[in-house]
Amino acid sequence: MAEAATGAVRVEKVRGRSALTRCFARYPLKLIAPSKVGPASCDAVWLYALTYGGGIVSGDTISCTVSVGDGCTAAITTQASTKVLLEQGSTYSIAEQMQEYNVIAMVVLLGPKLKSIQEQMQAEVRKLMSGQLRPPTSGGSLYTMRSQPPQRPQRPPLVASCSQFGRMGTGMVARIAAVSTELVYSFLRHHLAALEPSLGASPYAAS
Amino acid sequence: MLMESDSPVSKKSRLVHSVDCTMEEAPSNAVGMNQSLHWTQWQILDSILPTGGFAHSYGLEAAMQSRMVNNQEDLRSFVIQVLENTGSLLLPFVYCASKSPDAAAWVRLDQLLEATLTNEVSRKASTSQGSALLRVAASVFTEIQALQDLRQTFLGSKSVSFHHAPIFGLICGLVGFDSEMTQRAYMFVTMRDVFSAATRLNLIGPLAASVLQHQVAPDAERMLQKWRDRDVAEASQTAPVLDALQGCHAYMFSRLFCS
Repeated sequence: MAEAATGAVRVEKVRGRSALTRCFARYPLKLIAPSKVGPASCDAVWLYALTYGGGIVSGDTISCTVSVGDGCTAAITTQASTKVLLEQGSTYSIAEQMQEYNVIAMVVLLGPKLKSIQEQMQAEVRKLMSGQLRPPTSGGSLYTMRSQPPQRPQRPPLVASCSQFGRMGTGMVARIAAVSTELVYSFLRHHLAALEPSLGASPYAAS
Repeated sequence: MLMESDSPVSKKSRLVHSVDCTMEEAPSNAVGMNQSLHWTQWQILDSILPTGGFAHSYGLEAAMQSRMVNNQEDLRSFVIQVLENTGSLLLPFVYCASKSPDAAAWVRLDQLLEATLTNEVSRKASTSQGSALLRVAASVFTEIQALQDLRQTFLGSKSVSFHHAPIFGLICGLVGFDSEMTQRAYMFVTMRDVFSAATRLNLIGPLAASVLQHQVAPDAERMLQKWRDRDVAEASQTAPVLDALQGCHAYMFSRLFCS
């Protein structure tokens, strides 16, 4: 059966405020919970998930269970981008699969208070992507060799999609793939800026 | 073998000349069962079975519209990545359902897959394909009462979603396939549907698609052997870029497929 999780987090209401009541992590996961990310007036627990050496290698398994109680707020993030250091065993290597999309990111927004941010992000991502996706030129590649000079097809430098999930529909996951970390940071900074009042700090403040 | 068969002893065993016959007459019931299993297997794998698989492109349409897949070479890489992800993410569900083809196990697997498939596009594709497959199987394999019972018990229920992989495993398990055959069949129908989508999207002609399908078969077999027989706790997504792209399906202004 499944090996024990490498991390477990629980956030509950203690004396009326969100508090971290459980924080367990073992190799290759490391969790830190700084207490002064946002102002004291802000009721949010911040957690940073780190990996030893700043990267992951083939064979690493990282799993973490997270429980957030009613009325609580938690933000879980990484300190910087996590690098994939060594991988083996597939038909196509990770680099070949991902092509020029060097960076993958995932954002999970869960909870009824985040509904309007979710809707806003959905709408903006839809607008961004629908402008970049278009059917291949008429005739498809069966005929392009004859009529067009071979040229590198333009791929969007950043691809993002949002999906609702969860039985109550209060969850949204955004998946992003991009050619550089800068593009992802600026995308996240923009879309998550509205979280600042709830979290006490912007998740990806300009560095 | 769980299948109950009322079919008479295969006539073939009487037509074979007794001098040449290396099969024993007595256990011809077992032979008869095996032979009828072929017909069932081929029917399940045949694209003519009306399961609605052709409404889904497995992310190929989005990959083409984002220019990730532009030609035959890209298609080959795409198919292999889809198969790898099918193996890592979905095969455990097929396997576990085929090993325990009962309602309780199936409900648990279905609910777990519902939670696992956070990508809305692939989640909806999975439920629509799974529902269609169960409806067809319950109508076609009338000798398996369990299928009709399952459908009647759970149709309209909010607690199950009828995801494709567990239903496929359940049906194959009930029909009498062993788990290796079942998992290979699942990989096959996925590959079949991606190539079909590619020809309908005008990316490749039907003959070239058939050539490529045959070339990719050894890779598909290798991936089957790599990902087979795992518990669902090990299920994982191994194609993050394709997952992000497939999620964009609904953003495409003009599209041929549902997903």
